Amino acid sequence: MQADRLSYLWSPVGRIIPLIVLGLIWQAVSTFKLVDPSFLPSPARVIYAIGDLLTGHEIRDNLLVTLSRAAIGLVLGSIAGVWLGLMMARSPIFRAYAAPIVGGTYSLPKSALIPLFILWFGIGTVTTVCAVFLACLLPMVVNTYQGVHSTPRVLIWGAEAFGTQPQGMLWRVFLPHALPDIFAGLRVALGFSFVLAISSEMVASTNGIGKLIFMYGENGAYDYMFAAIACVVVVAFLADRLLLIATGKCLRWHESSAGRELA
Amino acid sequence: MSEATTVPSKRGLQLRSLISVLLIIVVWEAAARAGLASVLFLPAFTKVIAEWWSVCADGSLPADLFTSLFRAAAGLLVAASIGIPLGIAMARNRLLHWMFDPVIALAFPSPKIAFLPIFILWFGIYSISKILLVAFACVFPILIGTFAAASSVNRVWIWSATSLGTSNVGLLFRIVLPAAWPRIFAALRVALPVSLITTFTAEMVGGGGGMGATLMYAQRFFESATVFAYILTMLGVGLLLDFLMLRIQEAFPAWSSPS
Repeated sequence: MQADRLSYLWSPVGRIIPLIVLGLIWQAVSTFKLVDPSFLPSPARVIYAIGDLLTGHEIRDNLLVTLSRAAIGLVLGSIAGVWLGLMMARSPIFRAYAAPIVGGTYSLPKSALIPLFILWFGIGTVTTVCAVFLACLLPMVVNTYQGVHSTPRVLIWGAEAFGTQPQGMLWRVFLPHALPDIFAGLRVALGFSFVLAISSEMVASTNGIGKLIFMYGENGAYDYMFAAIACVVVVAFLADRLLLIATGKCLRWHESSAGRELA
Repeated sequence: MSEATTVPSKRGLQLRSLISVLLIIVVWEAAARAGLASVLFLPAFTKVIAEWWSVCADGSLPADLFTSLFRAAAGLLVAASIGIPLGIAMARNRLLHWMFDPVIALAFPSPKIAFLPIFILWFGIYSISKILLVAFACVFPILIGTFAAASSVNRVWIWSATSLGTSNVGLLFRIVLPAAWPRIFAALRVALPVSLITTFTAEMVGGGGGMGATLMYAQRFFESATVFAYILTMLGVGLLLDFLMLRIQEAFPAWSSPS
């Protein structure tokens, strides 16, 4: 059938073909000068710039700065978010107090707080980490809350009947049940951490990949700007894939893992 | 569990939510009045409200808000008008799926704001670059949601319709779209806040007017009250859109996706 004849297209190599075709179209556009080459550097030049960036220090150092900021914010935000979500799910009174604050900050675009953080903490790492922290906190709170709150009573009763102590319920019932939701929140938070780290560096930093991209743009080094953006895309893609693989490993016991696919 | 007996009534819980909001405002006001933080860092709540009123009265905040909302809405519209047809086409055609899947897989997790310098380079700093960046950011969740929705349409329905002589166009409008709509709507709901966030952030970074640009401008001149007034407005807009979405979902129960 058709599916068998075309199966090579779906192999890892076959899946790269569309990207190569896209690159060739791009190259053709710039070779035949359909677009002013100063606005659209050719892929050859961008690849050359990538090679140049990868052998130098500039991209590595700035990428490391950005990634460590994003990672600190992500880790702190996730821990605080899981704790808050857990508290909200288990204590109706705590939920009543926290709900308006969580609801309000949830719908606020977190990047709007960057100017406030600049006022408070100045330009640099603290501002970026705070912005990433808040952006990662909210999806974690909401997802953990949903996961814990939806724990079926049967599971709780079952654990109690088997003699699970109240303090053991957290680790043995609530958190395992919420784990798929927590991982889903983590994926959202991971995306946010990149967005917030980069946009906060673009307005409030002297280093980091966001600043670097903007600097290349302002200096007219567009091939390097494209190259730096390409590096960000690849790093974000790899981070997302790594998280998906980790999710698959951690949730191997869960029924959702059978139907889960990379997408 | 024993705590179930100590849960206060619904009204009691609502009262606590109200107390929590009031408490923040009172502590904020008191801290500012007592001079615990400099006016630069924390202007009093009443001052922020006064500032909010004055920027509303002179028309600058409504104008900025209108600019930003227009950009977000236009971007979302562009994203939907590309994402929904392409998503359905990808679900119906394996070759299209094969062509676009790697691009989507690579672009979906990437932070779109990193592309802002390219959009500014190509389309200037005003509305067009913002709208297209918003469309770029929103198109992937819509595309992925629509693709998932359209490819999970019950095949038996499609087969029945085809065998009863439904044309391709009829298949699209009478089977695929109605069956996939709840999940497409869910994807649009995901994309809505993305459009707002992207607009505000792009305006903050790239300038060119709108809420975000004025916010950054106010911060550069240390007009803290204006910064707070704009942030509170954005918060209000976010809450309002959430509320509207909820009402739409209540008004059209068939649109809520079975998840």
